Amino acid sequence: MTGIHLLYPEILLAVLSLLLLLADLWTPSSYGKGLFHVGILCAALTLGMIGITYSDPALQAGGGSSGSLWVLDPLSVFFKIIVLVTTILALLLTLDYATESRTHLGSFAALVMLATTGMMLLVSAVDLLLIFLSLELISISSFILAGFERKSLKSNEGAIKYFLIGAFSSALMLYGISLFYGTTGTTNLTALKAPGGPVFLLSVLLLTVGFGFKASLAPFHLWVPDAYEGAPTPVTAYLSIAPKVAALAVMLRVFLVLIPVGGLELTALFSFLAMLTMTVGNLTAIFQTNVKRLLAYSSIAQAGYMLIGFVAGGKTGMEGLLLYCLVYVFMNIGAFAVAILIGNEDSYELEAYDGLATRNLPVALLMSFFLLSLAGIPPMAGFIAKFYVFAAAMKEKLYLLAAVGVLNSVVSVYYYLRITYHMFFKPARKAQPVPASLYLYSGLALAAAAIFLIGLYPDPFIAGVRLSAQVR
Amino acid sequence: MNLLSWIIFTPLIGAVAVLFIPKEKVTAIRATALGAAGISFLLSLVALAFFSTAESATGMQLVERHAWIPTFNIQYFLGVDGLSLPLLLLTTLLTLLSLIFSLSIQERVKEYFFWFLLLDVGMLGVFAALDLILFYIFWELTLVPMYFLIGVWGGPKKEFAAIKFFLYTLFGSVFMLLGILALYFNSAPHTFDLVELAKMHPGWTEHFQIMAFLAFYLGFAIKVPAFPFHTWLPLAHVEAPTAVSVILAGVLLKMGGYGLLRVSYAVLPLGFKWFIPYLLVIATIGIIYGALCAMAQTDMKKMVAYSSVNHMGYVLLGLAAVSSTGFNGAMLQMVAHGLITGALFLLVGVVYDRAHTRDISAFGGLAARVPVYAGLMTLTCFASLGLPGLAGFFGEFFCFLGAFQRFPIFAILAVTGVLVTAAFFLRMIQKVFLGPLNTKWASLEEINARELAAVLPLTVLTVYLGVWPRAALDLMNPTINNMVNILAPLFNK
Repeated sequence: MTGIHLLYPEILLAVLSLLLLLADLWTPSSYGKGLFHVGILCAALTLGMIGITYSDPALQAGGGSSGSLWVLDPLSVFFKIIVLVTTILALLLTLDYATESRTHLGSFAALVMLATTGMMLLVSAVDLLLIFLSLELISISSFILAGFERKSLKSNEGAIKYFLIGAFSSALMLYGISLFYGTTGTTNLTALKAPGGPVFLLSVLLLTVGFGFKASLAPFHLWVPDAYEGAPTPVTAYLSIAPKVAALAVMLRVFLVLIPVGGLELTALFSFLAMLTMTVGNLTAIFQTNVKRLLAYSSIAQAGYMLIGFVAGGKTGMEGLLLYCLVYVFMNIGAFAVAILIGNEDSYELEAYDGLATRNLPVALLMSFFLLSLAGIPPMAGFIAKFYVFAAAMKEKLYLLAAVGVLNSVVSVYYYLRITYHMFFKPARKAQPVPASLYLYSGLALAAAAIFLIGLYPDPFIAGVRLSAQVR
Repeated sequence: MNLLSWIIFTPLIGAVAVLFIPKEKVTAIRATALGAAGISFLLSLVALAFFSTAESATGMQLVERHAWIPTFNIQYFLGVDGLSLPLLLLTTLLTLLSLIFSLSIQERVKEYFFWFLLLDVGMLGVFAALDLILFYIFWELTLVPMYFLIGVWGGPKKEFAAIKFFLYTLFGSVFMLLGILALYFNSAPHTFDLVELAKMHPGWTEHFQIMAFLAFYLGFAIKVPAFPFHTWLPLAHVEAPTAVSVILAGVLLKMGGYGLLRVSYAVLPLGFKWFIPYLLVIATIGIIYGALCAMAQTDMKKMVAYSSVNHMGYVLLGLAAVSSTGFNGAMLQMVAHGLITGALFLLVGVVYDRAHTRDISAFGGLAARVPVYAGLMTLTCFASLGLPGLAGFFGEFFCFLGAFQRFPIFAILAVTGVLVTAAFFLRMIQKVFLGPLNTKWASLEEINARELAAVLPLTVLTVYLGVWPRAALDLMNPTINNMVNILAPLFNK
């Protein structure tokens, strides 16, 4: 088999996570934290491995592949890096996460890594079978992660809902794949020739359901709030970023490059999905009083903005989507880091944020910056990301989509500022300062540095995104 | 770095420095904030000294230009001309004076000065930016600090006022962003450069210019605020702490008027021309309705807030005239309104700090008890109602003169607003300062040194511009004449 070395990062991560899983069985739980650190190290190692793999001169010439299921190109490398960075950051946040049961930390890390392996395969996949398998790998690991707090009812409830809806959407997607195979005679997407016809269209729609579930697009988002609220918060942070980004990446590849939806006249449908996702996410978020649920709905709305880049298509749209994904990682991780910080000490209700500004001004300021970045207020990075996708929409003359997008940003400011309102305008309920925690603070600092750097000096990142928006 | 950059970013340096001072060291925080604003003010005076007012100096001066985001041809492009320099000076001055007035703030001092300086950065940037994206970023940068300043240090309904202000203004400015993008994608080569864009209108259809104009207008009109988008203003002005009201009325409203001239008129003349009839109606309604609303208020601060709606109506009327006279009037009115209303809000704040009420009928005969304060207040009120010899007069006069040449009926209608303005200011003076002294206030303290330091410079300038308006007009004239002459063929058809 040619080019097997290109798969080394995925192989490495899969093998290491399985070893970690085994090791967790035989080590006493007091060593759990040690195993967890090993997990972080493994993810970092894989990131380095990608660097080595990508430096292959043959790849620079125009990508590579290993067999017919899988390709490696700048786009897939970009998303692999994003997913791995998210993984590392989310695992770091877990270290300071206070929970009742701290058992099986090794398994926890291993499951996150397995899900990540699935995502790394997914963003490279060009065959529906591999797409389905990697989606299942992600889903099954995520189901377990969502229900990881075994004694918490909420965690169980969220995981069961997540599982049921996930299984249902998998079935629909599988049906779509079988229809696809029925009309084209192949599951491979690269060898497609002038597809068409109602059955083919139906299969594409069913595929969209599968992707929409993972990317939490409305109306396939119903599992999101419960699963996000019940899951351990670092898992929520991870689930709100990595699977979403990976699903959007595969949508980008499948629908923009392999089966151009423009030819199927599905642009209107996706445009509608984008508007619906933004609007449903934002309007529901307004009524949330739990920060995790609020951020869950916010993440649905964010997927809608990303979808604008997808709908606009073309080079600008693709670049916009990529830049949005990059920025989204940092602003969302930042917001969740603060949520964990406050959740450890108090709770995830909005009241827990009362008077944070007087108790710990830097954290309150940083949280405001993350939230304003999510809302797209300059000079934070969220503005540049939104600017890019709106510019793509305006360029393609999708005025309605752009207008709905900007109006949604206005709505979103309302609920993002609700948290700010509690932090700055309400009197503190307790006087003692928020307890410091090293890993959370470093996560915060990193995320803050990233959103200001990208916001104020976006050019290198735009250049990187432009290089990455290339597919084979 | 260039002079303009220093003017804009000295407050930012100050803001960051304030963040690093422990919150117990209140004096150091105050000194740093005042120092930063003071340096920024002095530097803006230096800019004034370097600024050429020769008739031929119509272009941008003190220009600074760097590539910022080359992918989108976004530049860090600063410069001032006769439109922006007066407003830039107004901003640095009012910020410094507001900060002096804010020395009495006791609660969460560190955050207060941090947000105030950040607000200053945004406002200064808006007036100096010549790249639309840079302009937009500075424009939005004013929102966040304002939200916190109203929401934390404001009055009883501060939270609601803060979020209403934020959402309302953001609603307008996001459409401005779409307008900016539309201009970018319809310019060849694609650019956000305002100077370049001002040369591109011959290539654009009227329909496109109208649509783009409307997108921008929404952003600017809400800021001005033009009827019917003024409803955020009374609430925000009344709930904001005194110094913040000064900035809101003195500078933030001017951003709207400035934008209308700089972008709507200069870049989208056909859209502007199409809108003139509507603008006239809006201006006239603003003038009369604002004045009548002010008349109906019993709260002094709310009265001054509504008088802003009225005064900004004059600005819109002057803009609708599209002539040197009208534009000069609008600009002069903006500067004068900044000085006068700034002083009015400060003076209302002075009495509120002592009496804890702003109800007009709660006072009486104060002139006997606090003569200096009464004198300053009376003078400022007279200036605001447009008494000749004070700064408010020439601005209004030129606005009317410009409008009368083209649209006499609207000018005549609008003049009635002046009568109402005079009525409510005189009524307030009578009820608060004249008559027998209300014994409740027998021990009211006279205006103190800190407050005088904040108010007096504004009073002096009010008188100075009233007798010598050329001090401001000479700055503006070359630019305005040039702007009007370039587009005269379009508007005189």
